[in-house]
Amino acid sequence: MALTGPVLGMLAFTLLTFWGIASWALVRTLRQEGRKVELLEHQDRIDTYSPQALAELREWVEDNPDDPLADQARRQYNECVDVLEETDRHFYDWSREEIESLDRL
Amino acid sequence: MANSEAKTARAEWGTRFGFLMAMVGAMVGAGNIWRFPFVMGDNGGGAFIVAFLVLLFVLAVPGLMAEVALGRYTNKGIVGAFRDVTGRGGMVGFGVVVLMVNIALMSYYSPVIGWTLYYAVHSLLFTFTAPGFEAGAFMDDMFENGLLVVGLHTVVMAAIAGVLALGIREGVERIVVYAVPALVISLVVMTVRGLTLPGASEGLAFTFGIQWEYLTYSDTWIAALGQALFSTGLGWGIAMTIGSYLREYDDVPLGGGVFTAIGESSVGILAALAIFPIVFAVGAEPNAGPGLAFVSLVQVFPEIPLGGLVGILFFVGFFLATFTSGLLITEVGVTTVAEETRFDRTQTVLGVCGGIWLLGIPSAYDVAILDYLDFVFANWGLPLATLMIIGIIGWVMGPKRLRLLAVNQNAGIYVGRWWDPVIKYVIPAVMIFIMGYFAYDNFGTAEMYGGMAVLVGFPIIGYVLMSLVSRRDARSEATKVPGGDD
Repeated sequence: MALTGPVLGMLAFTLLTFWGIASWALVRTLRQEGRKVELLEHQDRIDTYSPQALAELREWVEDNPDDPLADQARRQYNECVDVLEETDRHFYDWSREEIESLDRL
Repeated sequence: MANSEAKTARAEWGTRFGFLMAMVGAMVGAGNIWRFPFVMGDNGGGAFIVAFLVLLFVLAVPGLMAEVALGRYTNKGIVGAFRDVTGRGGMVGFGVVVLMVNIALMSYYSPVIGWTLYYAVHSLLFTFTAPGFEAGAFMDDMFENGLLVVGLHTVVMAAIAGVLALGIREGVERIVVYAVPALVISLVVMTVRGLTLPGASEGLAFTFGIQWEYLTYSDTWIAALGQALFSTGLGWGIAMTIGSYLREYDDVPLGGGVFTAIGESSVGILAALAIFPIVFAVGAEPNAGPGLAFVSLVQVFPEIPLGGLVGILFFVGFFLATFTSGLLITEVGVTTVAEETRFDRTQTVLGVCGGIWLLGIPSAYDVAILDYLDFVFANWGLPLATLMIIGIIGWVMGPKRLRLLAVNQNAGIYVGRWWDPVIKYVIPAVMIFIMGYFAYDNFGTAEMYGGMAVLVGFPIIGYVLMSLVSRRDARSEATKVPGGDD
């Protein structure tokens, strides 16, 4: 069997897909770690949720106020809101308007 | 009381890189080296890759996210995590099932690590390139020499105990941050050597040739499913244990899910690139299992320039791959037993490693016992463990609650609602399908009866054991209640 175009194409696709995604994930997560460390050295606390994730958490707490884990969810939500309001640098992409629109649960 | 004081401060990974290497080091094992390349080439090459990739993203990535997240959420080993989710009682025993499967798995995996150690040592002695060397006879001699393999098994378990006794950061992390990159480098060097040999293109064509019709064969999907689930170690308690040592602000889904599943599969792809061009270049048999590593490849080394050095790279890398898996599989038992008993870490390491060593002697002595156990636990024991872990997340804790409280907290990527039904329905259904499929396929065989014994016996043992423990704890707590004046 010779090396045909499809074989080389599949080889390139496989390498790009697997090693490409693995390398992207490794670099991204290590960079994020570096950013978190930098923020923690600067201000001791960092925001723990992205805008989308925090909105979903709030929605769940409002829909399930009597859930056994609702108190914990509320605590985590409020903690993130407090950090966002008390710090000037954030890990996630929060705009000033988004932060101002937040209120504790 | 010194013990209880020590137990209040739980260990953490020292670096993000250490955690990532621990995840990949745990999941990359013998299967990536001696199984994946052949399964890929034998199931349509590129077509298999497509099926495998789909299943990785649909099952393995979300499943690993769930397992790591539960570990981080509870900050406990298997039994403690199950207790946090289910409350006290017999249901905690389903965590004991995971523990039992892990210990059984390690009891027959340790002799396999011993084989790779034996070959690594002989590669350093340049045995394989010596005149008159017979690869088949050399392997048969090793398998037939029960005492030799028992000795290797002893050395392996002692080495694992030595590393684990040093702890998570000083022991496990220090090893994996060097061992995993060393494995990758050795495979890269082998790949370069292999691809520059005349006739190497045959190996590439076997591995990466595309036969799209294979996507319509159920066997291709079953093989891809087995590889996607078992190679990534989903649901064995390893990812949960590693996740339980994450730090407060660490991400789960990007590192514990995407990087782990794709990264460890990438090592399998690299192994295919490293091994098959060399195997085909000299016309050796593209086998699967020990035959590929211990016969086909060993026959190749004397035939190629710098073969002795390539042999060292391969077998030392192979040993590191299996050894790091063994470390983390054993850590599952050590973490859990240390938390559930009054023993300190060193005592627990000695107890767990000693127990595994004792249980592993039959498998080390007789390779037929090892094969039997491997078949039973790969087809029924491990899917049962996965069903237990994903089952309590999906049906007791609830995937949405875990996603909101742990997966998306401090996450490097946002995980949306699509994740919930995958955890609740898809993964459990696939596990039940796998167990049923293999029971049907092996109906009436000794392996099937062994598998059924595991499926029925382990949950009963776990349930009864933890019911008794729970009752005893309730009694002792009741006696601790201070009495009144009357």
